[in-house]
Amino acid sequence: MTLPKTVPRGSNRIKENDKRRIIDETQRKRRQRKVMEMLESDNYHDDPHADLVMSKKAPKFEDSLEQRNVRTKKKERTVDYYQFKYRKNFHQLVDEDRAESEAKQRPSYMDIQAEESQIPPRHFCAVCGFLGQYSCLSCGTRYCSLRCMETHMDTRCLKWAA
Amino acid sequence: MGDWEPKSGRTLKRRRSSGGSTKEVAPKPIKAPAFRALVVDNGAYTIKVGFTTEEEPQVVPNCIMKAKSEKKRLFVGKQIEECRDCSGLYFLLPCEKGYITRWEVQKPVWDHVFSRSVCTIDENPVVITQPLFNFKSIQDCMDEVFFEEYEVSSLFRCTPTDLAYLNYAKHNKLTKSDACLVMDSGFSFTHIVPYVRGSKFLRGVRRVNVGGKLLTNHLKDIISYRQYNVMEETYVINQVKEDTGYVCADVKKELAEASKPFGSNSIVKNYVLPDFNVIRRGYIQETKPENPSEVEESYQVLRLNNERFVVPEILFHPSDIGMKSMGIAEAVVKSIMSTPKEHRQSLAKNIIMVGGNCKFPGFKERMYAELRSLLPDAWQLGLFQHADPITYPWKGGSALLRTHDFRNNLVSKQDYEELGSTLIQERFNNFMLDSRQLDQEDETGKHSTEFQYLSKLKSASIFGKQEVSAADSDIQIDSKAVETAALDKEDVGAEEAGQDAEGNKRGKSRNKALEETEVAADVEAESSEEDLTESPSLFPLGCASYL
Ligand SMILES: [Zn+2]
Ligand SMILES: [Zn+2]
Repeated sequence: MTLPKTVPRGSNRIKENDKRRIIDETQRKRRQRKVMEMLESDNYHDDPHADLVMSKKAPKFEDSLEQRNVRTKKKERTVDYYQFKYRKNFHQLVDEDRAESEAKQRPSYMDIQAEESQIPPRHFCAVCGFLGQYSCLSCGTRYCSLRCMETHMDTRCLKWAA
Repeated sequence: MGDWEPKSGRTLKRRRSSGGSTKEVAPKPIKAPAFRALVVDNGAYTIKVGFTTEEEPQVVPNCIMKAKSEKKRLFVGKQIEECRDCSGLYFLLPCEKGYITRWEVQKPVWDHVFSRSVCTIDENPVVITQPLFNFKSIQDCMDEVFFEEYEVSSLFRCTPTDLAYLNYAKHNKLTKSDACLVMDSGFSFTHIVPYVRGSKFLRGVRRVNVGGKLLTNHLKDIISYRQYNVMEETYVINQVKEDTGYVCADVKKELAEASKPFGSNSIVKNYVLPDFNVIRRGYIQETKPENPSEVEESYQVLRLNNERFVVPEILFHPSDIGMKSMGIAEAVVKSIMSTPKEHRQSLAKNIIMVGGNCKFPGFKERMYAELRSLLPDAWQLGLFQHADPITYPWKGGSALLRTHDFRNNLVSKQDYEELGSTLIQERFNNFMLDSRQLDQEDETGKHSTEFQYLSKLKSASIFGKQEVSAADSDIQIDSKAVETAALDKEDVGAEEAGQDAEGNKRGKSRNKALEETEVAADVEAESSEEDLTESPSLFPLGCASYL
């Protein structure tokens, strides 16, 4: 496999610090939500077969499957049958669970979520991963040194403060 | 309240037996199980499947994969072994946050698992795991698939933590009075479930929304920011995590070591990435990092330094990535302290750790150190981790077959047709559950004590090394906090009483014989309506736009 190398752009930073926008609390929250979405995601890229989907070339599940020894052939369902019948997104499921848990007086999915930590957060430099005692004035991101700050300013911070 | 009340002779019988029979595994004249069962531990990342008569399960990826190199086919489950080039692998996963929502993925994977290439269903019962509080419509679909399409003779569902508990109880000949706590740290999340008198103690259950998937995605992100863009290489980076990751004892010390220059730094490793030609799986380059050998020069090498131990730290400190949730050790303590007082020490003695994240070297040691510093010094602390924490719950399947509750609650195809989904699901969901404990809710708050571990926290370093002074070892009771909590609880209790006064009365009379439970946990649970991970505030590490 050949991977593109990440090039830190530390030198050609625009010296316009005072013009940088400060990202407010709402934007920071939105940014954090996006990070959590990324950490929750199954893939970062597009389906490599996406361009095949509409054509007959697209592989079907049936082609990839060995025969299961079904006792009654007629009971076999198509791949889409269950998805169509039981399709529900996660939020619907959580809402239904809440209603059910109230009726049964048991804790719900949301109730068993661990509480906020009582331990103060630690701070790591977003650039190099070592301890980061300073935070970016624009976005609050942690950094450890002038060098890491410059890298941060030129890369991830810029995308948000521009 | 209705569903928790006995409705018929059948339910009554089940209730009576649910108290302790699950533990009576060794003595008593219980006949050896006359049948075997097919046990399916249906994890969000891998399915562990096999008959109870077998020593080890087969471990099958619970996903469908698409390769860039092969556009003519899909790889379902184990078929990925036939894939030549696993770079840029695209995953279709059946679960969302650990719960099945994509049936168009789960069903074909099951078809594969129950085909001749893995393990076919026969006339024996099928036991399949589900997460705690599995959603009703998911259970409906599972019932339909297994009874109607797969035509199983009988079916049973329980949680992986139930199986782990039963396995542990059997091997350690535990008695009814031994309470156990199971921590299952898997792909989607980490569940902490205390078992008291053979039943799950629901008010003590906790879920930390950190699992192996999040760790791999975070590692992908930081490598992509610092070295190569590997955002599309989940499959490979997951292996990098497995091959190089570890849990350290003291983060500050470890960072100091990692900051040393190359020759003297014992942490930094070069990882040779697979090229899917000569190298199928990557590996740590054992030669000196400063002069890679001739042979390996043509391969792509990833340099891993603090990434190796900073990533698994998220399990213990989710706040490292901006999540407010407590880490797994803190949540274990919280869980223990949410149970009736007389069971807490027993729980601390029997902590069972399962799931893939336990496989990080140093995991158990760190867990011990963290728990040791948070729990009273006088308490004995016992942590158990099997050599294979991934298949340990599956191996509890044979212990399950020996329980009365399993035999009484196994659902036959005829039961399914005659009783309907609500009744049969109640049998599954009530397994190893003492419904009486839920009624204690209205009694709690009156005699509760809150163990304050915060005072211990203040003296402990937050970077792993624990510095506990002798003065902090006593259990401290913050009476003011308890009073406030009790007041809050009474308000809630009054509301509930208005809605179901009769039910409460019934509950109260029964509660007399039962212990008071922790109140703080209940109160806090009610205020945490929103998923904390989804409403985080400031995030210290980068952002969502990648280079
Ligand atoms: Zn730095
Ligand atoms: Zn910034």
